Amino acid sequence: MAQALFKQKDYWVKSACKMCIHSCAIRVHVQDGVVVKIEGDPNDVNNRGKLCPKGQSGIMRLYDPNRVKTPLKRTNPEKGPGVDPKWQPISWDEALDIVATRLKKIRQEDPRKLLVSINDFHRIHLWGWGAMFGSFNYFSTVGQYCGAAYHPVNGTLDGSFAAVNDYAYCNYWIQIGGGDGFSSHLHVAGSIKRMAEARVDRGMKVVVVEPRMSTGAAKADEWVPILPGTDRAFVLGMVHVLLHELNIYDAEFLKIHTNGPYLIGPDGYFVRDPESQKPFVWDAVAGAAKVFDDPSIEDFALEGNYTVNGVKCRPSFQVIKDTLKDHTPERMSKICTVPADTIRRIAKEFGEAARIGSTIVIEGKEYPYRPAAVNYYRGAIGHVDGGLDSAALKLINIIIGNIDVPGGHIGVGLDHRLLLVEPGPDGMLLPQPHILHPPYPFAGKPYSFQLMEWYPIGIDPGHLSADNVLNPEKWGFDFKPEALIIEHSNPMWNLSATDKVMEVFRRLDFIVAIDVVLNESTEWADIVLPDHTYLESHLLVDIEPPVITGHVYRRPVIEPLYDSRDASDILTDLAERIGFLPEWNGLMNIKLFLTGEYQLELNKKYTNLEMMDRMARSIYGPDKGLDWFQENGHATRYQKPEEMYLPWKGHRIPLYFNFFKEVGDDLKKKTEEAGLDWDTSSYLPIPVWRDTHPLHNLPGEYDLYAFAFKETLLNFSESTTIPWINEAMNNIPIHMGVLINTKTAKAKGIKNGDRIRVQSPFGEVIGMASVIEEIHPQVIGMSNGISRWANHPVEKKTNTHFNRLLPADVKWTDGMTGHLETSTKVKITKI
Amino acid sequence: MHLGMVIDLKRCVGCQACTIACKSENGTPPGVLFTKVLDQVAGEYPIVKKKFVPVLCNHCQDAPCVRVCPTGATTKREDGLVLVDHDKCVGCRACYVACPYKNRVFLKKGALKTGYFGGNQMTPFEKAKYPKWQEGTVVKCTFCVERVDQGLDPSCVQTCPADARIFGDLSDPNSKVSRLIRQRGGYQPQPENNTEPSVYYLE
Repeated sequence: MAQALFKQKDYWVKSACKMCIHSCAIRVHVQDGVVVKIEGDPNDVNNRGKLCPKGQSGIMRLYDPNRVKTPLKRTNPEKGPGVDPKWQPISWDEALDIVATRLKKIRQEDPRKLLVSINDFHRIHLWGWGAMFGSFNYFSTVGQYCGAAYHPVNGTLDGSFAAVNDYAYCNYWIQIGGGDGFSSHLHVAGSIKRMAEARVDRGMKVVVVEPRMSTGAAKADEWVPILPGTDRAFVLGMVHVLLHELNIYDAEFLKIHTNGPYLIGPDGYFVRDPESQKPFVWDAVAGAAKVFDDPSIEDFALEGNYTVNGVKCRPSFQVIKDTLKDHTPERMSKICTVPADTIRRIAKEFGEAARIGSTIVIEGKEYPYRPAAVNYYRGAIGHVDGGLDSAALKLINIIIGNIDVPGGHIGVGLDHRLLLVEPGPDGMLLPQPHILHPPYPFAGKPYSFQLMEWYPIGIDPGHLSADNVLNPEKWGFDFKPEALIIEHSNPMWNLSATDKVMEVFRRLDFIVAIDVVLNESTEWADIVLPDHTYLESHLLVDIEPPVITGHVYRRPVIEPLYDSRDASDILTDLAERIGFLPEWNGLMNIKLFLTGEYQLELNKKYTNLEMMDRMARSIYGPDKGLDWFQENGHATRYQKPEEMYLPWKGHRIPLYFNFFKEVGDDLKKKTEEAGLDWDTSSYLPIPVWRDTHPLHNLPGEYDLYAFAFKETLLNFSESTTIPWINEAMNNIPIHMGVLINTKTAKAKGIKNGDRIRVQSPFGEVIGMASVIEEIHPQVIGMSNGISRWANHPVEKKTNTHFNRLLPADVKWTDGMTGHLETSTKVKITKI
Repeated sequence: MHLGMVIDLKRCVGCQACTIACKSENGTPPGVLFTKVLDQVAGEYPIVKKKFVPVLCNHCQDAPCVRVCPTGATTKREDGLVLVDHDKCVGCRACYVACPYKNRVFLKKGALKTGYFGGNQMTPFEKAKYPKWQEGTVVKCTFCVERVDQGLDPSCVQTCPADARIFGDLSDPNSKVSRLIRQRGGYQPQPENNTEPSVYYLE
């Protein structure tokens, strides 16, 4: 069928975009065998014909003459930035043979000697290749760029992977450190459309809290400048105002849908019925403790101090209220620089806009209607104590009863499974912190360089790997890496403490890379294996769509241009040659959701195309293989109201994050038994401000905060190798240099265009000053657009790479979630 | 019929999807942007306003470029589109100077030789697209005339995620563009030029 299509002189074909980590539906125009246009698929319910600039620029990735066209072998043994590897084209057989021989030997000796950087978010099923090989190392990061401190908290709250406010019904949208609806995060094209409809057509009010006037802040009704890493203080100040000054909270919601009424003892744990072991609540009418699901309860007490069976206790709501009593707007204002009056005013507007008590009927069913919500993302939570940041941002939403109700803060699933709703202990939802992959079992002696075994609810703190490779004695590593496999990743760029990462690259004996266009990391490879681009390959993909669910179908729109292969097929081939095909197929059975007759036989080799067909039939039924998708395009649809709203099947969600405390206490016990000095102090059931934060305690000479950002043109930074994107960026001042507020620059004698040195306690970069008004005077900002230094001829080799300024060790990592601190403090001087 | 565009500055998020869609639709060479989005900042911290302002050829109804063109290469069609016939253009650049909006570009000699990746690495896409342009002539936004003639919206309008660009018949009082201009006080850019632009902005 595909062959017949490709023979046509002029055709449009549906496919799916891959110019960012999400997956908009596209249609592609081909004339005389040449792709001449890519548009959003007008019939798809997700992006509805719309496409962002990255998606529009896919043509220039496909036809980039710098693509890897055949397998390559390095002939220049010298490696380093700017060094020509002197590639020699070789055959697939020779290339795979060299790689398999090398890796097979490592696997036989000690598989832990392989570092793994397999990172394609469209193909999460490939991530476990290293684990099937026998190495649990992860030498890359997604967590630093998305949300190590975000996803586990979403999963713990309501089984979601992400979350976004309700575009259709929200009337008062506070956005903190995120680009939803304006510039980034979940399916940006569709989200911009939904946000524009809410803002302009419905008059939704938007307040954006950011150190820099981002796109969202520019479009908002109000921009609230704030210091990086202090958003939690702002939010907890608002919680204080709502609970202690205005008495605004959704008591009904907290009583019925959360653990707010569960009684907490002095040890921070639920007070339980000795017989049934069920948590107690206090029935305010009966004046007695009852187990939480006792049908005779007339009114769940949220407040008060009680004694049950001799144990002093309070409802968890009361504990939260008491704990945050000292988080006054005045105190929080000193931390975050937002005036106390502003915190009070916004809290009041937010609380009133929530319309507590109101309901709405959607498709015949009545739901609570809470059209006010706080949305947030990586900027707010990419910090030490980021788990507490995330929990605070959930708390402000939970108390007004807006979680997963119309107008509120809505959970978004990772894939077509939507929210993972399963019964957990104590009448609550089962916490789902590990939606990407299972947790690493604890071990007293570490076995992964990223120490994932000591982050039981975290997400892959890959930024720790370099420090542990270079300083194995720190945590007792008795093995060292010899080789690295990279697929769709750029660890040299994405991991912080760049110089340390480069040193690890220097020490490795062998690097194999699977890539489309070489980057800072893959140009250090010994062997390069060319992957197809998205316009040449098959995939069913469905990544974090809000509002929508299903799969879009990525398919080849032309014959592959070069001698490339699908990365899935390359990894399968390697698994077979190295000798772990059965393990690999077993993993595919799980990760591709294969069922019944569509499960792979363990010893048989399957192509990516066969696997995708089996996946389609497993999920959509026997008559919906890839043929169906080729005929019909995509299988996307709107989520049903009952899938989005109150989807918890009667289970309660946490107001009090007892799960975090339980995990932390368990880890404390295990690490103490193992004789480890490991900080578990951030595993708190209630988010509080902690003055111990290392970012805010750096020496005074580092007088400015610093952070990095991207906007819609940038997929992290990789789209900067596309000349159209680069050209557009050249017209935009914020992508030219290091952003400094006018007054700050003046005080330091720095003018627009001056070359400046930016020094943190951990590294330095040189850049050009871009003096602007729209940034907090105590902060500098650096676009990812000025960060590159790869050999690729297109991107600007400015090398003003923010990651060089960051540390990357345990001290600078959030204990609860493994999120790296993504801001730092700097001093700047004119050169 | 008077075709024109309304640009809703309240909706525009400055994402540049239009800029890139235009590159892809028209296959213009390096340095040639028929449309782009300007970032405009006013005020002093913390009272700062930032606007994203898309700009393109305004297809003026009293267009200086049409008036000054000595060869009749630049003309206004009956539906209002101002177009350049590259076969007639001699590259005198009178129009380039006359345009008060600076929305025309002169394609220098060699402009179509290299493509975006330099050297002799012209991509198949560029090879397919460049024949429609001629070196030594002046080029500009055509409102995607080939699309419009098929009844489609210009490419920038089609892709705009915020629906900030709306294309339609300004002479029809019931068209969406006319209604938006009426209801939201749409204005033409730099009206003091007296060129009657077919592009209107909404604040």
